[in-house]
Amino acid sequence: MRALLTLLLHLLLAAAAAAATSSRGVVRSGLVNTNVIRTVDLRALPAVKEQVGVVVQNEHDSKAYKSYVVVVSAAKRDSLAHLSVRERKSGVELEVTKLGSEDDADGNGGAQLYQASFSHALQPGEKISLNVDYVFLNTVAPRPAAVGQAENQGWEWADDVLVQSVYSTKKQKTVVRTRGDIRDFTQIAAGGGATKDKKAVTFGPFTDGDARDEPGLGGMRAEVRFTDNAEQVEALTHRREYFVSHWADDLNVLEHYALRNRGPGIDGDFDKVKQTVSRFMKARDNFVKLLLVKVPAAARNLYVVDEIGNVSTSAVTGRHRPKGEQPFKVMQLKPRYPLAGGWNYTWWHGYSVPLGGYLKVDPTRRSRHMLRVPFIGAITASSAQSEMVPLTAFDSQNVAISNYELRITLPEGAADIDVRTPFDVDGVSMQPTSYYFDSTGRTVVVIEQRRVSPGTSNAHVLVTYSYSAGSLWQKPLVIASVLLVVFALASVLSRMRMGLSSTVPGPMARMGKKSSKTE
Amino acid sequence: MVGKVLGLAVADQASLLRLAILGLISIVAIGSRLYSVIRFESVIHEFDPWFNYRTTRYLVNNGFDKFWNWFDETAWYPLGRVVGGTLYPGIMVTSAAIYNALHLLNIPVDIRNVCVFLAPVFSALTAVATYYLGKEVKNATAGLLAAAFIGIAPGYISRSVAGSYDNEGIAIFLLVFTFFLWLRAVRLGSALYGALAATAYFYMVSAWGGYVFIINLIPLHVFALLAMGRYSNRLYVAYSTFYALGTLASMQIPFVGFQPTFTSEHMAAMGTFGLIQLVAFTHYLRALMPAGHFQTLLRAAVAMLFALGAGGLVLLTMRGVIAPWTGRFYSLWDTGYAKVHIPIIASVSEHQPTAWPNFFFDLNLLMLLLPAGIYFSFRELTDNHVFLILYSIFAAYFAGVMVRLILTLTPIVCVMAGIAMANVFETYLDFRGMTAQTTGAGDTTEDAKAPATSAAAAAAASVAASVPPGSPARPALGKRLYAYFPKAVVMVNFMYFLFMFQLHCSWITSSAYSSPSVVLASRAPDGSQHIIDDFREAYYWLRKNTPQDARVLSWWDYGYQLAGMADRTTLVDNNTWNNTHIATVGKVLASDEDTAYELARRHDVDYVLVVFGAMLGYSGDDINKFLWMIRIAQGVYPNDVSEQAFFTADGQYSIDDSASPTMKASLMHKLCYYRFNEVMGAQGFDRVRKQKLPSNVELHNFAEAYTTENWLVRIYKVKDLDSLGRSHRAADAFNGPRPAAPRRVPF
Repeated sequence: MRALLTLLLHLLLAAAAAAATSSRGVVRSGLVNTNVIRTVDLRALPAVKEQVGVVVQNEHDSKAYKSYVVVVSAAKRDSLAHLSVRERKSGVELEVTKLGSEDDADGNGGAQLYQASFSHALQPGEKISLNVDYVFLNTVAPRPAAVGQAENQGWEWADDVLVQSVYSTKKQKTVVRTRGDIRDFTQIAAGGGATKDKKAVTFGPFTDGDARDEPGLGGMRAEVRFTDNAEQVEALTHRREYFVSHWADDLNVLEHYALRNRGPGIDGDFDKVKQTVSRFMKARDNFVKLLLVKVPAAARNLYVVDEIGNVSTSAVTGRHRPKGEQPFKVMQLKPRYPLAGGWNYTWWHGYSVPLGGYLKVDPTRRSRHMLRVPFIGAITASSAQSEMVPLTAFDSQNVAISNYELRITLPEGAADIDVRTPFDVDGVSMQPTSYYFDSTGRTVVVIEQRRVSPGTSNAHVLVTYSYSAGSLWQKPLVIASVLLVVFALASVLSRMRMGLSSTVPGPMARMGKKSSKTE
Repeated sequence: MVGKVLGLAVADQASLLRLAILGLISIVAIGSRLYSVIRFESVIHEFDPWFNYRTTRYLVNNGFDKFWNWFDETAWYPLGRVVGGTLYPGIMVTSAAIYNALHLLNIPVDIRNVCVFLAPVFSALTAVATYYLGKEVKNATAGLLAAAFIGIAPGYISRSVAGSYDNEGIAIFLLVFTFFLWLRAVRLGSALYGALAATAYFYMVSAWGGYVFIINLIPLHVFALLAMGRYSNRLYVAYSTFYALGTLASMQIPFVGFQPTFTSEHMAAMGTFGLIQLVAFTHYLRALMPAGHFQTLLRAAVAMLFALGAGGLVLLTMRGVIAPWTGRFYSLWDTGYAKVHIPIIASVSEHQPTAWPNFFFDLNLLMLLLPAGIYFSFRELTDNHVFLILYSIFAAYFAGVMVRLILTLTPIVCVMAGIAMANVFETYLDFRGMTAQTTGAGDTTEDAKAPATSAAAAAAASVAASVPPGSPARPALGKRLYAYFPKAVVMVNFMYFLFMFQLHCSWITSSAYSSPSVVLASRAPDGSQHIIDDFREAYYWLRKNTPQDARVLSWWDYGYQLAGMADRTTLVDNNTWNNTHIATVGKVLASDEDTAYELARRHDVDYVLVVFGAMLGYSGDDINKFLWMIRIAQGVYPNDVSEQAFFTADGQYSIDDSASPTMKASLMHKLCYYRFNEVMGAQGFDRVRKQKLPSNVELHNFAEAYTTENWLVRIYKVKDLDSLGRSHRAADAFNGPRPAAPRRVPF
């Protein structure tokens, strides 16, 4: 059975390799894509939401198929943040497994294959409709790469005209939707060609006949250039740290960010005059001037620091309580300098919240603690001249995180640690560390994830650990006993007579003299 | 009444009180230095502390060996700087040691916070050391008063507020502590204390160039004692131990090296060492010889040795074996020297001669008490008092020559004031002639103030106790008043002075000495504080948005900050060791655009940074410093830069359209005023110079890269040659005048 599976896998890989090297090359599989509709949603940049609706038919005479293979091309595999496959009618999500390892990339032209398992095998002649959802981050690039400080920002989306698949595709089309006006797009002669409809461009439909007639079509790139003035920011690295303190009933949150404005750079020189004037006139320009961070309403001791000290130009709003959400405050962080396209900014901020809202004790086993904390925080960048940015700004989710690290520092003495993440992550590990007067040290849970898909801000991590009352008293006892030893030593030392000669009055002698004086 | 309190005997009560008071003084000393942290933040101040902070971070991150051998290629581009061999490592090693100790206890403190709070903590130690010094020369009362004074004296606070991470922060403690150990060594004739003094001196040498003060003052003390005929074996033991060990130890610091053996500053110590050997030998001989022979021998020997020694010294100095006095030294004797010969020293404000109000500003009441203290020292002239008097006189002189040397004056002023106040207290709080009942109520408050007169107090108290309450020995009311009134008047007066002193110190500390100068603050009309953070805005921009190896040209004042905050390569910095290089930078800024461009390209400059205060009215900006840059450049390049050319025909230093052509053509002028009139409008004027703005500033070879919110810092990029290998000015000239671009801003 196992051998058979491996064989199948090798077959598939070989097929994929063929598919990647020549897009017309397909597997001699019984499965056929009868219709593929790809919708590329560019309205939530920097996240590109791609949905491929595919109707799959089993045209094999006898064989039943249990799974469907999805291809992520070499160009896009390093920006994939999310992939899921659903059955369209029932909405049931299929289980997706990654095929091959990361290093295996050469084997199939750099493309990455995923295998989605059907809930029941697809019998010969049977059809199934699948929705494959991808989220890619930071794949849309500014074009032109530099514009004037207050000019409109142009962007370019580019991808293969034809959807890559390991199966043969009978008919397909691609719809690209944008938020701003479309400036330009690739003209295609074959098949359904390329048509523009207000804020959408449709490529296709193309049949497999078109692809045969027009040999260039397979390798052809479709490009859409459009205007979009919304901010796009990439978090090159983001680290969120939690510090759990049972003694202080305190959950300390610390967030590190290294941001880069993805927008087009400044064409020519930086123009302070223009920037000052547009600030006074409240006119639009391309600088990111404000970063908004959601913090819990109970947050206290907020601070913002960067590598060279406090950033004193920040503020916190009052409490907001939208329906169906936890109450929150908004930290309005003003970077030291406005961020033009391509400029970087690094800082960190932190706050404390009462631990009670995040920690539950297992009612059956008193020492068992359950810590449930948000997987990630919400941040949004704004280029508005006014600091009164409406809360809807958070919906734009315009900060794409490329490298994310979550660290949860548990109290000293926490044991039997169990971590549950809301979805599969790239890595979970435990590291030892020591903080304030720790004697035995404590554990840090480290969760790593490259490219966090937007929309995960409601996800939570659950950490369960044992923490006994004895551990709670460990530190005070250790400190007390150390102090006791120090005092005892000092006491003994002060009573010892130093020096060789007995004629020199030692401390003892002097003490004796002193006391005799008082008598 | 005199019984045990808390089960402690009177002497123990007094020592507990002393401890408590010393503890409170320490807390006050630390507390009053925290204004800057509370008002602003935990940030490194000023300029030099940024270098110390940066090197400390390097030490913490890379370990001692690497630190010792650190060659910093990002400073003084393209020369570089041997950091390990050109600094006093004391403060860095101290911070790193504290940092490592705390981390050993698993306290994850940030090195920046260690650095920020180092000076306040050491000021508490200074207070303790001053207490011991005061106790050594007079008694515990004087010690406590001196400790209280130095805890809050603005003259010392000016260099030791939180964030002022400079050598002086720990050096003053070491200065006082070394002197205390020295005095104790002299009093006891103890080789142990002499060795301890040498150790403290070694620490001092490792921490501050001001150690020269110690190594001249102590020999002077010895010499004075010898001249006064106060030679003793105690003195011989103390000085021989101290000098031998101290000198050997000090030579272990690479920056000092063999200087103690051949520079003029150290010759006095060496000469005194020789002298005391001779004197000791003479004393030995006298014990063996008849008086008459001895006199003859002595005269001949003294004359010969003096001639030999002086001749040798002159010869060696002329041959260059002994290094001649440095310029900084001459400027200590002739205050006008630096201005003429070394403009780079004169251009620093803290090297200016002290104005009289400064003494009052920094020392207030203490200044008045200093002569009183000297008087009291003369009255009971012990070896220690000779030292105090010498210290007072010399420190007072140096403080008058250079503003920054008020710092070395402050400890002795505090000790002297402590002695004077202690005498006042002892005289006017002495109730031993008085009756018992009144003392009970009257002196409790004062007793708390001056508990250290414990011996006297205890005696008085015992007298009081011996008189039973309500005894008939009660004198008439009038007589009592007559006895008390003058004492009360004097004490009330002095208490008032002390309160005013405390008030003055707090006020000065909070208003004058607690500004980080990296961060500026202004008051909004409603009284709220508005932070102006342009410097860090610019530095952080450089740090995050320029290539790691970018070279930034700026005037040397900003060198350390650029290295510390922007983490970029600089051409010159506050180390000022290479006058030519600084003059070159001055020349770049003072030349016309083409010359400057060529020079900048030759030095691989990527960015030019200028500080420009015209929008805010910040008077410490580069245009105001420009004259010094010109002078320094002229000192090295007299043919290229001439100070006169920057003044108008009628001798005005103006920047508007009436400025001299050289001024208008200079790079500094252009970089500062480039497009500034566009944002200020037609009526705009320079808020620092109170002049109209120049109407037309053209810039070709430099491109604006960043300007901060309040235009305080402007950064320009040095453009590359264009594709034909021409400078942009040449290219623009070839292409003809630019079209009238819609540059005008509607205002």
